[in-house]
Amino acid sequence: MIANILRVETLNTDSYEYRNMTPDATIDRRSYLKAVSAVGATGGLAGCTGGGNGESGGDDESGGGDGKSGGNEVINPGTAPGFPPFEYTENGELVGFDVDLAEAAIERAGYEVGEWTEIEFESLIPALTQGNLDLIAAAMTISEDRQETIAFTNPYYESDQAVLVAEDSELSPESADGLADQRVGAQSGTTGQDEVDALVEDGTVAADDRRQYDNYTLGVQDLENGNVDALIIDIPVARNFADGRAVTIAFTIETGEVYGMGMRQDDDRLADINDALAEIQEDGTYEELVTEWFE
Amino acid sequence: MEPAVLQATDWGFILANWDTLALGGVVTVLLTATSLTLGFALGFPSGAIEVYGEGWLADIVSTAGVLLRGTPIVVLIVLFFFALPIPRLGTVPVVDMKLNAFVTATLALGLRSAAYQSQVFRGSIQSIGEGQLEAARSVGMTKLQAIQHVVFPQAVRRSLPGFQNEFTIVLKDTSVAFAIGLAELLTRAERLYLQPGRDTVVIEVIITISAIYFVLTFTTNRALDYVHSQYAIPGGNQ
Repeated sequence: MIANILRVETLNTDSYEYRNMTPDATIDRRSYLKAVSAVGATGGLAGCTGGGNGESGGDDESGGGDGKSGGNEVINPGTAPGFPPFEYTENGELVGFDVDLAEAAIERAGYEVGEWTEIEFESLIPALTQGNLDLIAAAMTISEDRQETIAFTNPYYESDQAVLVAEDSELSPESADGLADQRVGAQSGTTGQDEVDALVEDGTVAADDRRQYDNYTLGVQDLENGNVDALIIDIPVARNFADGRAVTIAFTIETGEVYGMGMRQDDDRLADINDALAEIQEDGTYEELVTEWFE
Repeated sequence: MEPAVLQATDWGFILANWDTLALGGVVTVLLTATSLTLGFALGFPSGAIEVYGEGWLADIVSTAGVLLRGTPIVVLIVLFFFALPIPRLGTVPVVDMKLNAFVTATLALGLRSAAYQSQVFRGSIQSIGEGQLEAARSVGMTKLQAIQHVVFPQAVRRSLPGFQNEFTIVLKDTSVAFAIGLAELLTRAERLYLQPGRDTVVIEVIITISAIYFVLTFTTNRALDYVHSQYAIPGGNQ
């Protein structure tokens, strides 16, 4: 992959601690994980004084957490399948990195994993605030807009955006300028769509040439069929499509965005989930999940 | 890229997943049944109230009807899902469907269907000549008896074609439950092609479920045709 990195101003990410640690886009996964673990560990230490030793530590913390949250011990997670390898269905079962990570975090925090809700990505936040579900695990980027309505856990994954084009396309853009006057699409409600909107706003792409899809699978189909010229999509998912479909990654956009799990702003259990995520990153469970789902 | 529109392997994949689609079909049929039942239970009396009723009851029925008929079904179902405090009711085994989503979908489709069915019944009741009611009264029946024994038996028969239409609409509109993640036919079909490595089967999946919806509507319509011919008023105007 020729990564001709394009600098795009983003709204949100400068405030994150990890960003200062990893200012460069060409960071590899290992060093990123270390950085995130470090952030997580800080959070973990703040949460439990002197604990943090394996599972017993987690259980102790959850005792305190239960008291705060009024004895509500079940956390019902929700996601939007169709975003492999983060979440998708296989033989009728919901699987993926987010699914395993969320279940591990909920259990580690001492709560019971309730029922998974599978719904369109755009409906996840309303479903959370209305109480249809308690935790969003859907490769959701932490953004200021979203933080106005919901709270996020500490970041658990970093992803920039990739620009996908059809393999047989004559178009081989190396930067956003290469997308001038092309038809560009994304899944609605995603940060990929924010990038498309930004291109429309600065005049690179005409408003008529903006395409939106309910999910990226339909977008990739449209890309293969030649109805759209480029898709903007999270890198890990773009790689997945590039492996299986007649599409290829033309270049990446460094947005420095990170995924977090979403919870209601007044949900006290958020701190317990953060502690659990820190522990999962510390004890190697996180690495195992990454190996299982991304390699 | 090779021009492979309909590959044999893709159809094989659909065949291998027939059980997923069959379970989705079961949920679709169940949802159609509950919605039409709710729609009939509320729509039939509403139709009668619109014809014979007066006062506040008639006002409520006609206002509710106007509101329900004037709202797109997707809006209705999403509104009910997010606004109604329906508790989490667990998951139905085998068909793997969330009960609260099913209840929400039944309410949205059922109430909307009631609003449509009330018009079907209103029309068929009004199609029975006024003279029949007067004749029944003149042989000593009360108004209620006349409606029950003279008007309704004919009106219900005459409402069958309209009801048949409504049946088809509800069956196909169950697919909007997709918006709230209910595991009916369309939702499950979409999950088939959202699997990694299976994203080439989009067109095959959509053709297949179109065929399933067609078979469902065609057979029930034929069954209702048969019912209609069996219960038609002998020598009457259908």
